[in-house]
Amino acid sequence: MAKTKTQMKIFTIADYKEEEKWLENQHSNGWKLIKINLPFFYTFEKVQPEKVIYQLDFKEKEATDDYIKMYEDYGWQHLGYYLGWNYFRKYESAAISESDKEIFSDTESKIEMIEQVFKTRMLPVLTIFVAVMLPNFCGLDKLDFSPSEIVFTIIYLVVFALYIWGIIHCGIKLTKMKKELEK
Amino acid sequence: MDSKLRKIYVPMSETAFYILYSLQQPQHGYGIGQAVKEMTNDEVSISPGTMYGTLSKMEKDGLIDLVKEEDKRKIYQITDLGKEVLKIELNRIKRIYKNSLGEKYYG
Repeated sequence: MAKTKTQMKIFTIADYKEEEKWLENQHSNGWKLIKINLPFFYTFEKVQPEKVIYQLDFKEKEATDDYIKMYEDYGWQHLGYYLGWNYFRKYESAAISESDKEIFSDTESKIEMIEQVFKTRMLPVLTIFVAVMLPNFCGLDKLDFSPSEIVFTIIYLVVFALYIWGIIHCGIKLTKMKKELEK
Repeated sequence: MDSKLRKIYVPMSETAFYILYSLQQPQHGYGIGQAVKEMTNDEVSISPGTMYGTLSKMEKDGLIDLVKEEDKRKIYQITDLGKEVLKIELNRIKRIYKNSLGEKYYG
């Protein structure tokens, strides 16, 4: 049995470029991605260090056979679908040209993917925030501050803060990436 | 052709043009990519993400039709609407070409 390791690392929906780079680094250090179990938990297998390209493609729905087949025709191995993301891998030695190293060949399709992430991930999150989180937050002053309520309130505030951070971070980053591509 | 389609496809991107042009013959995504590479001497290459997205969009917009599925590959072909759009685009390209040579173009 090959040696394996599981590592935790948090990437938001706006950090897929960083995630690709991180996976490439792991592989060049001899750790090949074999699966993602829970969110943010990556399992690797010890292999020969190699230069490998990792690419992520966002799709709202689970990958279909024809979708995977097309990528395979182009020499990409489909590693799986996880929380909206399709993970692909190609050994650099198998890439015959620069354009062969990317799953998108024009700016329009890169922008389109960002817009998809915005529409299917950011909008629902924002809706929940406005419809559920915000009204709850406004209701906090009505509490009578018993010990259990204080604990609950603290947990709630932490989640609330994380939520706001997530929305701002992803919103700014995705917008920036899109602007960069539109230049 | 409605104005929405006109806005998207006139003029169209290089990727869209080569895909639509290639689909005058039935073909699957990877096959289109190979044909485009061949005819442009590797100058234009269309990656799978871009190919898949453009084909899906063109099918939705009625420019191409799914002919059949063979060994998990979807084979598409241009529709009458697609031909109409392609004709407009070809005329536009011819005009640009003629004008670039300092000639007038009368359609």
